[in-house]
Amino acid sequence: MPVIDRTQINEEIKALKAQYGQDRSALLPILQSFQEKYGYLPDIIMQETAHALGIHPVEVEGVASFYSFFRRKEPQGKYVLRLCKTISCDLAGKEKVARQLENELGIKFGETTKDKLFTLEYTNCLGMCDQGPALMVNDRLFAHVTPDKVPQIIADCRRGFIKSEFPKVVPSDVKKEGPILSHNLKAGDGLKSALNLSRSAVINLVRESGLKGRGGAGFPTAVKWQLAGAAQSDKKYVVCNADEGEPGTFKDRYLLYHHTDVMFDGMTIAAYAIGATQGFIYLRGEYLYMKKYLEETIEKRRAANLLGNNILGKEGFNFDIQIRLGAGAYVCGEETALIESLEGYRGEPRNRPPFPVDTGFQKHPTIVNNVETFIDAALICAKGAKWFNEHGTEKSSGTKLFSVSGDCERPGIYELPFGITIAQLLKEVGGENAKAVQIGGASGKCVARQDFDRTIAFEDISSGGSIITFGPDTDMLKVAINFMEFFVEESCGQCTPCRDGNPKLLEGLKLLERGRCSMTYLNELMRLGETIQLASKCGLGQSSPNAFLSILANFKSEILGRVPEKE
Amino acid sequence: MEDKDKAITESTVRAPKSTTPSQVKAPENIGAIGATVKVTIDGHEVRVPLGTTILQAARTIGIKLPTLCHHEDLCISGVCRVCVVEVEGMRTLQASCAYPITQPITVHTHSRKVRQARRHVIDLLLSRHYGECYSCVRNNNCELQALAREYGVDFYRFGHVNKPTYGRDDSSYAIVRDMDKCILCRRCVRTCIDLQEVGVYEAVERGAKTRIGTFMDNPMAELICINCGQCINRCPTGALHANDPSDAIWAAIDDPTKHVVIQTAPAPRSAIGECFGLQPGTPLTFEMNTAMRYCGFDKVFDTNFSADLTIIEEGTELILRLYKALVKKEPAYLPQFTSCSPGWVKYIEHFYPEMLDYVSSAKSPQQMFGALIKTYYAEINNIDPADIVTVALMPCTAKKFECNRPEMNSSGFKDIDYGLTTRELAGMFKEAGIDLPNMPKSDFDDPFGTRTGSGVIFGATGGVMESAIRTVYELVTGEKVENLFEHARIIPVRGFEGIRYAELPITKVGPVPDILKHLVSDWEWLKGITLKVAVAHGTANAKKVLENIKAGGKLSECHFIEFMACPGGCLGGGGMPIPTNEEIRAARARAIYAEDEASEVRKSYENPAVIRLYKEFLVDGPCGHKSHNLLHTHYIPRGKKLV
Repeated sequence: MPVIDRTQINEEIKALKAQYGQDRSALLPILQSFQEKYGYLPDIIMQETAHALGIHPVEVEGVASFYSFFRRKEPQGKYVLRLCKTISCDLAGKEKVARQLENELGIKFGETTKDKLFTLEYTNCLGMCDQGPALMVNDRLFAHVTPDKVPQIIADCRRGFIKSEFPKVVPSDVKKEGPILSHNLKAGDGLKSALNLSRSAVINLVRESGLKGRGGAGFPTAVKWQLAGAAQSDKKYVVCNADEGEPGTFKDRYLLYHHTDVMFDGMTIAAYAIGATQGFIYLRGEYLYMKKYLEETIEKRRAANLLGNNILGKEGFNFDIQIRLGAGAYVCGEETALIESLEGYRGEPRNRPPFPVDTGFQKHPTIVNNVETFIDAALICAKGAKWFNEHGTEKSSGTKLFSVSGDCERPGIYELPFGITIAQLLKEVGGENAKAVQIGGASGKCVARQDFDRTIAFEDISSGGSIITFGPDTDMLKVAINFMEFFVEESCGQCTPCRDGNPKLLEGLKLLERGRCSMTYLNELMRLGETIQLASKCGLGQSSPNAFLSILANFKSEILGRVPEKE
Repeated sequence: MEDKDKAITESTVRAPKSTTPSQVKAPENIGAIGATVKVTIDGHEVRVPLGTTILQAARTIGIKLPTLCHHEDLCISGVCRVCVVEVEGMRTLQASCAYPITQPITVHTHSRKVRQARRHVIDLLLSRHYGECYSCVRNNNCELQALAREYGVDFYRFGHVNKPTYGRDDSSYAIVRDMDKCILCRRCVRTCIDLQEVGVYEAVERGAKTRIGTFMDNPMAELICINCGQCINRCPTGALHANDPSDAIWAAIDDPTKHVVIQTAPAPRSAIGECFGLQPGTPLTFEMNTAMRYCGFDKVFDTNFSADLTIIEEGTELILRLYKALVKKEPAYLPQFTSCSPGWVKYIEHFYPEMLDYVSSAKSPQQMFGALIKTYYAEINNIDPADIVTVALMPCTAKKFECNRPEMNSSGFKDIDYGLTTRELAGMFKEAGIDLPNMPKSDFDDPFGTRTGSGVIFGATGGVMESAIRTVYELVTGEKVENLFEHARIIPVRGFEGIRYAELPITKVGPVPDILKHLVSDWEWLKGITLKVAVAHGTANAKKVLENIKAGGKLSECHFIEFMACPGGCLGGGGMPIPTNEEIRAARARAIYAEDEASEVRKSYENPAVIRLYKEFLVDGPCGHKSHNLLHTHYIPRGKKLV
C-alpha cells in the first residue's frame, strides 16, 4: 500500500479536478480514482477532497459510505472477489460457490486475507443472470462458476491473470433476434436521417412510433423530449441510463457492447431534438470493464464528426458525451437519484415535481433514457415509425428485449413483441413447467400459473425486461427473502416507509421461515406493504414490496405454517 | 455593481436549500389573474398562489397536517412521509410539504390510505426509537411523542428496540448527541450544512443502515463544531440536546460555603415564558429575577451591564483602529469584527483563521462579567473569589464552550463556572415548583443593576451595532443620536435580512469626552468620514461577508461588522425554547425592542454602573492596562483540518 502524504494527495486532487471538473460533480470520479489507487478512502483523503471541492468532509463521507464500491476503514485486498447473490445466481447455486470461496481463502465474506491479496464480498446483480453464478474479480467477470472452479480462479489471481484460463469478457447469448437486434445500421446512419429533419419533426416521428421508455416505467419518450425541448435554458443534458441494476436484467450490457454506435446515435439524436450540448453515460460500476471500449468508440465518433462541433456539417449542432461510472448503488437507476449521483451527491431520489425535464442535472433541463430507448429511437429515425410500431400492441408499440434467467432451458436475451403472453414467452424459453415467473426483476411482480395468460405490455404487466422463471421445486419463501434482502440493502435510506418498512417485511418472512408468524401479523405486514407502495418517495420504494406482496398473495399456503428445520 | 458583490446583495437572506433544492419559484406577478390556483382540500375550496405547497394551502383553511422532517427554516426534504395526502388522479400518496400546487387539484387529507400510511410511518419510527418518554429531556416537547398521541398509538405495532445501539455522546461542553432517539429527519443535517455552513452532520451509509454520522464518527468535542446548537433547536426529538449543568448548579446552591451569582443575558427573558405556556415575546424579566432568588441564587445580575461595558471597550478599540488607519496611516485591521458571539468566534477560528486579527479582542459580555465578579465584586464585597460560583443564563449553547476555554481565567479563577441555557433554567424552575408567570416582580441586584436599553438589544441581530452607533455617534459628535434617528431606533441595522449594510456620515465633531481623553486629543480626524457598518447573522451569511471582504468587495470598506452565529441573533440561540421559527423569533425581537424603549438609559456610555466601574476599578480607562488584562482575550487559529 502506498504511503499517504498530504501534499501528494493534494497534487493528485488538483490533477483529477482538471480532468473531471472543478465543482462537486467531480466527486465520484475523484473518489473512484483514489479507491483504485489506495484500496480505500482514508479520512485524510476524504478531508482534502472535501476542502478542494469546497464542501465538508462529512459530506464526502456521506457519499463514500452510500456507494458499496467505496471502503473507508481499511484497505481492501488487491483482488476484490464480488460474488453475485441476487436471485438468478442464487437459484443457480451461488451458495456452494460462496462456501468454497470461504474455504479456499480462509476468510468470511466481508473480510480481507492477512496478506491483503483477497477481499471477499457479496454484490447485487452483476448482469450475468443467464450465466450464473457470476463472480467479478476487480473488473473481470466469471460466469457459470462452480465450486470446483474456485481454486483455479484464485490461482489465476495470484498469477496476476497471466495465462488466464478464463475468457475476459463473457459473451452474452442472444436467443432470438427481432427487428431491433437485426438492424444492419452503421455508425451515424440513424443520426444522418434525423439531421435531415427539423427538431420538432424528430420528436413527432418518435411520437408517431409510440415509443415508451424501455427502463420499465413506460413514460412516452416523445413527451419527455418535447418537455425538455420546450424548457428554456442555456444548458441542457442528455443522460443515458446504463445503470442496469435490476436483478435479472442483462440486455443493456449486451446492447452497450454490440450496438454501441446505434446507442450513441440515439443519444445524439435526442440532443439534437431537445437542444442539448452535453451528454453523460451513467455506466454502472459493475460494467467498469466496458468503459475503455466505450471511450474508444466515443473517440472514433469524434474523429468521424459524429460528436463534437457542427456534427455532420449541421451548423451549430454541438454535442459531446462523457462517461460517468456508478459505484454500486441500485437506486441510482432511478433518474433523479442518478442525477444526484452525477452531481456528486448521495444517490437519493428527489421530490417530484419538479421533474428532470425542467430541473435536472445542475438545475438544467435533462432527459434520462434507457440504453434500449436510445437504440430504438435511432432505429425509428432511420427506418420510420411504422417499421417500429407494426409490432407490439396499440399502447405498447414495438418489440422489447427481455433478459431471461432462472429455471428454464434456454436463458438469454430475447427480442419479442409487446403483448406476448407469459405462456408464449415461457414456451419460447423452454420454461413451460415454471410455477411462477418474476416479471420486472426485484421491483416487479411474481406471476403464478393461473395468470400465465396475461400479457407483457405497459397496459397489463409492465417490465423493464427482466424475466426470472421459477421451476416447480423453487421455495417461494426463499425467493421472497432474497428480494427483500436486496431492498433492505439497496434502499437509499431517506424515506421512512422504504428504509424502515422493508426490514419489517424481511423480519416477517424470517418469522414465516421459522413457522412463527400469525395471520394477524402477516395481514398487518401486507398492509404495511401497501403503505410502502403508496407512501414511499420514489419508484424504487414504491415497488419494493411488490415481490413480497405478490408472492404472499399467490403462495400463502406454501408459506404459512412451516415446520422449522431445527429449533 | 461589481460581480463580487452580487452574492451578498442578490439574496442576503440565506434561503436554505436542501442537498438539492426542490422548490418551485413563485411567479413574479403573483397578484395577477392566473397566478393563483384553485385547490380543493377535503371538500373545501381555496385559491392559493401558484407554487404553494399542499401543506401551506391546508394551513390556510385550518387543516393541520402532521410533519416531522419539515421545518420552516429549512429547505424541503420530503423524507419522513408522515405528511402524505391523497391527490386525486395520482397513483401514490404525495408528501404535502414537498408538493407545489401548479394546477387545480383535489386533495384528501385523511382518507383510509392516508391514515393507514401515517400510522405506519409513526409505528415504524417508534419501532427503532430507543428509550421511554419519561426519561427523555424532550418529554412533553417532542414532535414524535405528540404525533404518537394524536394518532392514537397504544402499542408498538412493529416492536420496539430495548437496547441502545449507539450510546450517548456527551463529550462536548455544549451538545449531547443521543442517536438512539434519532428518527433520521435530517433537520440537523440541513441546519448545519445549509443554515450554518459548518457541516458537522451528514447521513452516512445506506438502506436500513442509514444513520446520521459525524466525520469518521468522531465525538462532538473533537469535531469542527461551533457549538451554536441550532441543530438542537430544530431536532424534533431528544436526539440532540444541550449539556445540562443544572445538577452542578444545584449542588453549588446547596453548598453553604458558596456564593452563587447568576447573570442573565437579554434574550432569555423574552422567551422563557414559552416554557410555561406563554406566547413568544412575553417578557418575564422581573418575575424571573424573583424566581432565581427563590431557587437560591445569592445575587441576580443583568448581563446588560457588561454588554454596555463591551460597547465601551469594543468601541474604544474601534476608535483606536480608526486612528491608526486614518491618522497614523498605518495598517490597521479594519473592518473590526464583533466578538460577542462565541459560535461566531469559533467559526472564524476554524474556517477563516487568517482573518482573526480583524476580530475585536474584547471578551464577550458573559466573560467580562465573570472576570469582574471574581475581582471587582469580590473585592468590594470582601468575598474570597474562590468561594464565588458564577452562573451565566444565556440563550446560547456555545457559551458553555466559551466559559470552558482555558484562557478564560483572567480573574485567577474560571471566570464563569457554568453556562446555563433558557431551557435549562426553566427546568430548574419547574423542579423547584415555581410557577414563573405568577411570580412577584423584583429588580436586579447592585452594583451592576442599572439596566440600559442598549444592553438589552444585544439579544437581537443588529443590536450590538445599534448600541455601538448610539454610543460612538454621541461620543464623537457630542450630539444626540435622536437627531438622526427617531427615538434612537437605528432602523437600517434592524430586521432579519441576512446581511445588512448602513452608512453613518460624521459631519461634525464635538469635544473628546473624559473617558477617552487618555487616548485621543480631538476628533477632527473623523470629521467628514462616513462610518460604514454591516450586520450578519447565521454563519452562512457570515461566510458570505468574509468572502466578500477577501475578494475586496463592498464590505471590505466597512469599519465595523457585527456577526452573530445564530439566525436572528441571540433570540434565536441554541439554548432558547423549542420550537423556533421566523414568527417566534420576530415576537421575541419585539419584546426586546420594547424593553429598550421602556428603559430610562438607552446608551451604553450613560450607564451609571459602567461609569462607576471606570472610576473605581478600571482606573486606566477603556482599553487600558487593567481592562486589557481582565476584559480582553486572544483567539486560536484552529483551522478546519481534523487529520
